[in-house]
This record gives sequence, structure tokens and C-alpha cells, in this order.
Amino acid sequence: MSRFPEIALAAALAALCLSGPAYAGDPAAGEQVFKRCKACHAVGDGAKHRVGPELNELIGRTAGTAEGYRYSSAMEKAGAGGLAWNAETLAKFLDDPKGMVKGTKMSFAGLKKPADIDNVIAYVATFSKPSEAMDAAPKPEDKKTEAAPTEPKEESARAEPVKPAVAAAPAGEGGGLNYHLGRTATAGEIAAWDIDVRPDGVGLPDGSGTVAQGEKLFDAQCSSCHGDFGEAVGRWPVLAGGQGTLKDDRPVKTVGSYWPYLSTVYDYIRRAMPFGNARSLSDDDVYALTAYVLYLNDIVTEEDFELSKANFGTIEMPNAQNFIADDRAEEPQYLANKNNPCMTDCIAGVAKITMHAEVLDVTPDVQDGDDKKPSAGIE
Amino acid sequence: MVERSGNGQSRRGFLKAGLAGGAALAGSLAAGRVLAADDPAITQIQDWNRYSGDGVDAHPYGMPSPFEKDAVRRNVAWLTADPVSSVNFTPLHKLDGIITPNGLCFERHHGGAAVVDPAKHRLMINGLVEKPLVFTMDDLRRFPRVNKIYFLECAANSGMEWRGSQLNGCQFTHGMVHCVMYTGVLLKDILAEAGVKPAGKWVLAEGADSAAMTRSIPMEKALDDCMVAFAMNGEALRVEQGYPVRLVVPGFEGNMWVKWLRRLEVGDEPWEQREETSKYTDLLANGKARHFTWAMDVKSVITNPSPQAPITHGKGRLVLTGLAWSGNGTVARVDISTDGGRNWKPARIDGPSLPMALHRFYYEMDWDGSEMFLQSRAMDEKGFVQPTKQQLRAVRGANSIYHNNGIQTWYVDTNGAAENVEIS
Ligand code: HEC
Ligand code: HEC
Repeated sequence: MSRFPEIALAAALAALCLSGPAYAGDPAAGEQVFKRCKACHAVGDGAKHRVGPELNELIGRTAGTAEGYRYSSAMEKAGAGGLAWNAETLAKFLDDPKGMVKGTKMSFAGLKKPADIDNVIAYVATFSKPSEAMDAAPKPEDKKTEAAPTEPKEESARAEPVKPAVAAAPAGEGGGLNYHLGRTATAGEIAAWDIDVRPDGVGLPDGSGTVAQGEKLFDAQCSSCHGDFGEAVGRWPVLAGGQGTLKDDRPVKTVGSYWPYLSTVYDYIRRAMPFGNARSLSDDDVYALTAYVLYLNDIVTEEDFELSKANFGTIEMPNAQNFIADDRAEEPQYLANKNNPCMTDCIAGVAKITMHAEVLDVTPDVQDGDDKKPSAGIE
Repeated sequence: MVERSGNGQSRRGFLKAGLAGGAALAGSLAAGRVLAADDPAITQIQDWNRYSGDGVDAHPYGMPSPFEKDAVRRNVAWLTADPVSSVNFTPLHKLDGIITPNGLCFERHHGGAAVVDPAKHRLMINGLVEKPLVFTMDDLRRFPRVNKIYFLECAANSGMEWRGSQLNGCQFTHGMVHCVMYTGVLLKDILAEAGVKPAGKWVLAEGADSAAMTRSIPMEKALDDCMVAFAMNGEALRVEQGYPVRLVVPGFEGNMWVKWLRRLEVGDEPWEQREETSKYTDLLANGKARHFTWAMDVKSVITNPSPQAPITHGKGRLVLTGLAWSGNGTVARVDISTDGGRNWKPARIDGPSLPMALHRFYYEMDWDGSEMFLQSRAMDEKGFVQPTKQQLRAVRGANSIYHNNGIQTWYVDTNGAAENVEIS
């Protein structure tokens, strides 16, 4: 942005302010929406490419042209064919990325609410040069959605009682057993949140999905982080392989080599994946993806294998038998000197250094992608 | 084996940077010496002595002195693929006492720090209960309240140090721990409000963040001392610590202290969630893995001196200090060795000694300027003595990752610089 002369910038900003918001959306609300993009995109000062390209100076940019980022050929072709990013093209793309740019590797299902789309565009546009941003802005009359209402700021120091969004039931009616607090949860509310699945199958929804269906979903929504075969891109988690390595010096713990229960795979994908877009998969999708993860781990071998609520319990995980109870309290180093720490001449000879810290310059300015990676990361 | 980075130069740079300021000071201000010239800090009138400072309200929420800008959380970028599922570390070497300031409590999120609107936050309790209930934040504040000081330690604290010394600073080796006073209500009161059915043996706690973090808590613990907390150190929880409400599971690994707590489900079996199978299980050398390793073992670390906080005043009087804690209760004693564990002397625990809270210890000594291999070793009220890292590796192998409570060694050279080492 420093390329832009300061005076011109000030003028453009002034113009922007005078002419009111150039975007249908609200950038502040858009910042919240952008959290869903953050897993893959950075924007703002010092933004770097991540899973997806950085989004500074996006407005006016030809699709697929951020320097140093490796796009899919689909995105490059779209750019070569004249696709440039402005409020309109972005709205279309963010509504249905794969619908608009067939074959894009952006594993993102799209934003469902039009207001979210407008808001996130308004937010991203604040990191683009104002003049172009303004040219690209849709005229107020082609706003197809209402801007999110902005809440008036309260300046009063006196606290007003805040009305809860849902009226609390009066005491005694439906409240708890002792203090009559809270209210009875409805069946619909419980169904909305209670999605956990246990090893004995309690909590599994109706539905099914095949390995072949799972492969399509995985390629589109998971492989950008977990790799085409679950082998992982960069430091994202590995999902497949590693069987037989648990006693090795460098064990590889994956669904196939380590996880004791299949229910955990279903439960976790449904609650937390794809990363940054949780709870977006249908129950059938999750069956298909679970089947595909089994396939990537050679636990099922047929592409037409169908996983369903009915046959879920028949799958045995290879490492199921290798989990044991916590017996740390019985370990020899604790039993040997319990209540009785040694005070003098505890070790013979003088101390000699056998190992120095491996990474000595850990400072906050250690750059991403610095390859001084140590032998063990955080799990 | 550990691969060495072989970056000797940056190492020297690091040590020098730590010492430069201190060495000069030590030369001119060493105790008892007569100065050649008057100290300008006294003879010159300082700006703050002449000009008025800011009025009230310059900072409606007060911040530390600008001279304390290094007392910040730090992360280590290469540890994880993404800062949204990552960790940063408490600057233990910058702190004293037993309470961690709210803004310095380490962060560990699995789907980023959720910013939850308390007016739209609900806590549901369902499963094997007489009456499934939904509470608003206002409802929660109408239960009897308790105030408790507890440490929270991530099970992976010191996990990078399993195979050998890696990171140079107690912030990085031990900084996934903090200790604050929680205000909230007892989990058992909330469970009783819904009425736990006799078959209910487990509680699943679930967060409202994008990881929908879940852990199975045994009913015995849930009914013992767990809390549902909405304040820390007197103010609302910080966003990074689960605002508006989190679970407190005293003495147990941090991952169980579900943040942004939105649901409690009572069941007759554990749920075997990802965070209690794929993660937070401890792989042993024989390929078996320990499961449900909840309690945090007895542990301690010397925070000063340490690699980020070298001795800058030269020989003579030295205050050595650090922290000790145990998931089993209080810390009964802490001993200090300056010769790498050959001989030990008791340290002095100062400040409150509370169960499952950090304990502050001091060891005052005269330093003769020779090399030291500093170690601290805690023993808790149940008699468990902190082991060496060699002992842990001998029993558990090199890939256990979690629950590393091994004794930490800082090598202090004759200049006062400290380094993270392992010794024979
Ligand atoms: C799971 C990762 C992921 C998420 C989440 C994601 N993106 Fe992307 N995005 C990508 C990838 C990968 C590409 C490159 C696409 C290609 O080359 O086909 C991309 C491309 C783009 C482009 C085209 C950029 C260019 O230089 O041509 C835009 C614009 C974009 N994303 C915006 C967004 C926005 C806004 C969001 C959030 C609402 C979002 N993305 C969420 C991964 C993601
Ligand atoms: C933007 C990158 C990204 C995408 C896309 C993504 N994941 Fe993940 N996945 C992650 C991260 C990060 C974690 C670990 C999260 C944590 O630390 O809690 C993870 C964890 C997992 C795990 C658990 C791994 C383990 O060993 O514990 C599974 C299984 C998984 N993802 C499946 C999927 C599936 C299926 C999809 C597609 C629907 C998907 N993921 C899409 C980033 C991603």
C-alpha cells in the first residue's frame, strides 16, 4: 500500500467517507466472517500465502495472479479468460466457489448468507487501494441484500438490564430441581447440539456413504490440508499410514495406526471438519468421508464399500487393543523415593553436559517457514 | 536422537544480547563499590520528575509500564501448521508470586479463540438427567458462588523436551501453565439442578468454539471439585480463556478445562473423543498407550535465573526463584541443586500453599561466579518426588509427549548466562 502516494490516498479516503460506504456490507461484521477464511487466507500487513493466496489488493486483481502462489490450473485459466475480482465476481465466487470456478482447489463450500458475503467483501476491500475499490463497488441500486443493521453504540454508563434473547422461564416452571434455575431444554435444542457418537454406536445418525462418494468430498474439501492420500500437506495432520510404526523411534500416529475407535472419526469430522468450516457436512457426507479415511488406511479395500449406521459396529480398528489404564503412580521412579528424596551424594561424579538446547534463538520474530524445525512438535 | 540445528552463531548472539546490558551495569553499580562519578540517575532531574504524567482515564483499562514490553506471551511458529490451532507460552521468567496476570495466561486453542456474545450463550445439560435444562449466563450467576486458586497446565507442557533439551527459555519449556483465582459455581450444584440419574457415571463437556471441544470427565471428579467459572482474577474470563464461561477441573490436564462451555451431557460410558484417543494419550516404548491420564504430576522449574533471564549482577548475593505444583494437592517441599543433582538444599516456599495451585519458592545464596548446573525438585503432599528426565525416558520411552514432569537443568556459565541442557 505504500506505493500509493499519501496525498492521493488521503483524498481518496476523504472521497470515500463523503460518498458514504462504498460497499453494501459492513467491514466490521465482515471481519467476523473472515474468521472462516483465516484458516487458509491472510490479509493485512505482512500477510503471506497460506493454504490460499494472501488477499491484499484483491479488488481489481486478476484471478490467479498473486505472486509466488501456486494456483490450480482452473483458477489460472479463469484469470487468463478475464476474471478479475470485484464486488460482483467475489459475491458469485464466495456463494459457490466450485460452481463459479470449476476445478478450483479452494476447499470451501461457500457462504450461505448473502449478508455474510457482502460483509466479508467490504472487509477484504479495506485492504485494497481505495480508488479501485470504489470503482469496483456496486451502485447502491444493485444491492441485492440489505446491509446488516448496525447497532447503535450505547454510551450511557448506567447498566440497563439486558433482555435475554430467549425469555427465561419464571421460577418453578420448568426450572431445575433445587434452585428452580434454568428452563427445560426442548427436544429440538438437544438434537441441535447433541451430536456426539460413542464407541458402542450411541449417537450415530441414520445415513450412509460410500468410499467413492467420500473420495470426491475429500478431494474437494480435505485434501488441501490433509493431502490427496491423507499424507498431509506441510505440518497439517496426517490421516493415513503409519501402521506398525508405534514402537519405532519415530512413530506415525494416524487414524489407521493409532485410533482405537471408528466412532471418534465420525464424531470428530462431523463436529470440527473441514477446519474453519465446521458443521457444514451432511450426515451422509460424514459417513462417506469416514469410509474414505478407512479406505486410505487399508481398513476397507473396496471403492464401493458403503458405511452406514447398520454396519458401523462391524469395523474393528487395528490398534484398538493397545490402550491401557493410567498406572503412572506405580512407576519405579516414584516408588523408589516416595516421601524420601535423596539429599547428598545422589549421583556419582561431576555433572557433564550431554545435550544443549537445539534451538537457541527462539524469539517472537522467528519467521514462518523457518526450517529450524525441532524433532518434536506440539500435538 | 535429536537433530542439531548447528547454528552456533545465533546461539552466541542470543547469549550476548542477554548479557550486554547487564554486564555494564554490574561493572559500575556492584554493591559496596564507590563510584568514580555521581550517578546521573540521581544528579540529573528526570523527565518524570519534572513534567506531569497522564491524567486519569488516559487508559480506561490499565496496561503494564512500557518498560515491561518483553513480558508477553510468545509462540513458536514452527510447532504447528496454523496459529488457529496452536499454542503460546506464559513468560514465567517475568513473573513473581503465584498468580498469573490474565493477559499473560498461555493460550491453546483448537479452532481459534471464539468471541462469544454472552447474551446468546447457553449452557445445556442433557443425557442421563431427570430434567434436561438450559441456563443463561444470568441463571448461572444465581447459583452459590465459590472462589478458588488453581493452576492449569497443558498435558503437553515440556512435551518438546521429551527427547532432550530443545528450547532455550523456561517460557518455552514450561510456559504452558498458569494460575489464577476463578469465580464461579460448583459443577455438582449444576448437575444436581438437573438431577443425575443413578446410571450417570460420566460427564461430557463441550465447547461452543469451532472445534466444539469435547472431553469425558469421570463423575467422581465432576462431583468433587470441578467448577463452572465465569471470572478469573476478579474480572470476566478473557476471550482466550473461554469467555463467558469455562470448566475448571483442578489438578487435571488443561485440555479437560473446556472453554466456551456450552453443554454438559451425563452418560454411563465415556465418549472416547478425539482429544482422549488420538491426542492426550501417552505412547510407551512397547507400543501400548496410556489412556485417560488426567492428573498432572508433581513438577517444578527455576524461572530465574534461566536462559531468558541470565544473572546480570555478577557474583555475590543471588536470589534464585521458581514455581512448583502438583495435581495431587499441595507441594510439600522444593529442593535446589547447583551441582546437577549431586547434592540438594531445601528452598523456601513463600506465599500461600494451596492444593493444586502454583507454589512460589526462593533460594537465597552467595554466588562465587563459578559454573552451576541448576535444578529444582518438588515433592507433593502425597510424597511423589519429581523424577529426572532420564528416569522418565527409561520407563516411558521417547515418544510419550505428554506429562513430562522431569527435572529441568539450566547450565549457568561464569558470566551468568544460562542454557537449557541435559547432563550425565
Ligand atoms: C480451506 C481453505 C480455504 C478457505 C477456508 C477459504 N479459501 Fe479462498 N482460496 C483457497 C485456495 C486453496 C485458493 C486458491 C484457489 C485455486 O488456485 O484454485 C483460494 C482462492 C481464493 C480467492 C482467489 C484469489 C486469487 O488470487 O485469485 C479468493 C478471492 C478467496 N479465496 C477468498 C476467500 C474468502 C473470502 C474466504 C472466506 C469466506 C475463503 N477464500 C476461504 C483456500 C481457502
Ligand atoms: C484448512 C485445513 C484443513 C482442512 C481443509 C481439513 N482439515 Fe482436518 N484437520 C486440520 C487441523 C488443523 C486439524 C487438527 C485440529 C486441532 O489441532 O485440533 C485437523 C484434524 C483432522 C482429523 C484428526 C486428525 C488426528 O490425527 O487427530 C481428521 C480425522 C480430519 N482432520 C479430517 C478432515 C476431513 C475429513 C476434512 C474434509 C471434510 C478435513 N479434515 C479438512 C486441518 C484441516
